[in-house]
Amino acid sequence: MSILGKERKEDWEVVYEGATGLIDLYKEDPESKGMNGIVRGFRLFMDGLFQAIDEGRPIVWHNCGCSPELIRGLEGVQTMPIELLTVLQDLVGEVDYTVALIDEAEAHGVAPEVCSIDKAAVGAVLKDLYPDPDCMLYHNTPCDSQIAAIKCLTALTNKPMLLMDVPYLSGDREVKYLAKQFREAIPFLEEHTGRKFSWERFREVCEESNRTAEYLRDWNELRRHKPCPQVSKLVALNTALLVAFSGDHEGTAIAKAFRDEAKERIERGESSVEGGELYRAVWYQDPLWWDLQFYDWMESELRLVIPMDLFGYYAPEALIDTSTPESMLEGLARKDLRVLPMSRQFKGPVDNFIDDYLRLCSDYQADFGIFAGHVACKHGLGGIGLFREASREAGIPLLYFEFDMFDPRVTPVESIQDDIAHFIEDVVRPRKEAA
Amino acid sequence: MGKSEVLKTFQEVIEGPRNVYLDEWVRAGGKVMGYYCSYIPEEIFTAAGFLPYRIRGAGSEDSSDGDAYMSARVCTFVRHTISLALRGEFDFLDGVVLLQNCDHIRRAGDLFVKKVKLPFYSMLSVPRAPKERLFDWYLSELKRLKAEIEAHFGLTITDQKLEEAITLHNATRERIQRLYEMRKKDAPPITGEEALTVTIAAHLMPRDQFNASMDNLLADLENARVGDSYRARVIIIGGELDNPEYIAGIEQQGALSVAEVVCFGQRSFGELIPSGADDPLERIARHKFFQVPCARMVECFDDQVSVLKTTVREFSADGIIFQRMKFCDPWAGDGHNLYWRMKEEGIPFLGLEREYLVPSSGQVKTRVQAFLEQMGK
Ligand code: SF4
Ligand code: SF4
Repeated sequence: MSILGKERKEDWEVVYEGATGLIDLYKEDPESKGMNGIVRGFRLFMDGLFQAIDEGRPIVWHNCGCSPELIRGLEGVQTMPIELLTVLQDLVGEVDYTVALIDEAEAHGVAPEVCSIDKAAVGAVLKDLYPDPDCMLYHNTPCDSQIAAIKCLTALTNKPMLLMDVPYLSGDREVKYLAKQFREAIPFLEEHTGRKFSWERFREVCEESNRTAEYLRDWNELRRHKPCPQVSKLVALNTALLVAFSGDHEGTAIAKAFRDEAKERIERGESSVEGGELYRAVWYQDPLWWDLQFYDWMESELRLVIPMDLFGYYAPEALIDTSTPESMLEGLARKDLRVLPMSRQFKGPVDNFIDDYLRLCSDYQADFGIFAGHVACKHGLGGIGLFREASREAGIPLLYFEFDMFDPRVTPVESIQDDIAHFIEDVVRPRKEAA
Repeated sequence: MGKSEVLKTFQEVIEGPRNVYLDEWVRAGGKVMGYYCSYIPEEIFTAAGFLPYRIRGAGSEDSSDGDAYMSARVCTFVRHTISLALRGEFDFLDGVVLLQNCDHIRRAGDLFVKKVKLPFYSMLSVPRAPKERLFDWYLSELKRLKAEIEAHFGLTITDQKLEEAITLHNATRERIQRLYEMRKKDAPPITGEEALTVTIAAHLMPRDQFNASMDNLLADLENARVGDSYRARVIIIGGELDNPEYIAGIEQQGALSVAEVVCFGQRSFGELIPSGADDPLERIARHKFFQVPCARMVECFDDQVSVLKTTVREFSADGIIFQRMKFCDPWAGDGHNLYWRMKEEGIPFLGLEREYLVPSSGQVKTRVQAFLEQMGK
């Protein structure tokens, strides 16, 4: 297959074809603005990346703890999250390709307990699937597995790398600390990309990022509606939107599609579940990315909807104040510390993690919670006892299981389906009936 | 006291959470501050008049109390230590200081706050790259810790007290350095199992008493030799390792450990903190922040490698044994990188995975034997 007139490596062809197929599918369905928006965005991202490669433009890698606005402040520089291929493969491509990358990394000596998305990123580099970066800008969040990946990728590529140290807490002192590091990152980025950073351009990027944020906040509000107007799986995709598209007009277009779809469906009185929703749950920790149809199954078989999850939640913190260079750097730091899903909840004390969950359960009127414990998230699994206690105290039934969000071999889909179906039957339904 | 008596004393010190020196200290009304990691300066606690006590899981029969709060995918070091804490076996502590050195310890911190509830708790945010641009933040965290201790306990940590603490801890460093110097000999006077016992004990008892015992030990070691019957010399590297029995298992196969570049080993001591007219807290901070970096640190892999190469050379080691706790992500990245870098450098390298408190398994022994064969030993 030719992408932008050139033959690309097979893994990329698979995801490109997958995205194209889904665009065709959703195009026929006027009810799928949101899905159509994000899948279209994925393909455009690939187009942009391939174009940058073909034009020899600089490429900067970053990780999922890093919102890319600062890098976009340099004209003509292409951003590339190290998780890109895995996310695309799981969401729109073929998960077997991800599995192969995971195996490649493990065979090369990366410990099995490292997160599968991080292993797959190492696998992608080992298989020479990623374009060489001019430099890499990483954040030490959301977890240690990212640190492992960052270290492996730096050793494998031997390219310049700069770490933004994201501290434990996220108060004003921490915001200033991170903002100061962003300022120091600018000359690093300029030196290694050969491009100038422009404050004016950065301002436009931040304004774009704010526009996206506003749509996402509206969208978060709209999804509180009962019945939930839109399909569950959309919430799982929001983090991919933020990591890949923050500061890009395509991000705003996707967020607007999410918002518009929810708004229009509410106006038409539509529910995401045919026959009407029976149960609502907050899905917490990590979504099931290797089988988005799983969400359809929950809706059709169990009449269960996920109005919100951790990846979809856009915390209502301040927008980036674009009045001065300092206010922009601080605004971006605040976003990285307090808003970006995962970074917000997974770092710092466990209260960050638990409080958001309880808030979501209450705001979205959840009948129960699903703690989908991605096996690599030791920060989450290490807090499970306290999490359970907090759920019990709040009177919210909690289903807990462990699985791998990128690797279907760890817990088969049937087992997760059984867990949820039984939990509803044994716990949630009797409780609702008694209420 | 000769070598065997001193080592016997140290063995008793490291057996479980409590030891006679600690009990004596507590009986005399002394305060004890627990801490987890090499990036937390003990000097601050000493200057506050506390006994610094580095938390371990020794003496934990099982990790069931920790398991009730943490998934089995959390490393067993953390689950054992938190089990002891939840059972009240660290009740002699007046407080605990942690840092976000890894995701597992962070969650241990939450349990200390919400369940163990010692009178004092502080969590430091230590930057994850030992770079000058981040040093001010680290120093400000230490200042915050100092102020918190002063406020909570109603005391003042003067510069004079900090200087005295530097002197006391430097005296330990100097003794550990002498011990390690002796291990460079053709026939070292002490095994790795014994040396790790010594360095662990330093973390658990009053330093003046430790230093005095070390003087006896060092005097006796002048003429000792244990290294004749070994097939190879290795250095043992990695993170958490406070189980001398584990090293014993390796040494029984014929691989003598001549240096342990691990937490609780040489990495916790390093060079002396220089004297000078400038702020003692800043000198302490520099020493800790720029110590031989651990795997939680980024942008410093070449420094780590260069330390290892120097250690291999100076201690005439034939190879490196890297040990990592299962589920430990920080050391997973380094495990991968070290394997390939050591291959490039031509330094024989064996990577092992372990669980806390478990002596070397049969599999470890077989792998060590194979490693020796591979090195032609
Ligand atoms: S999914 Fe969890 S373990 Fe994986 S990179 Fe994200 S935070 Fe880390
Ligand atoms: S062994 Fe690794 S995972 Fe366990 S406490 Fe130490 S750094 Fe954390």
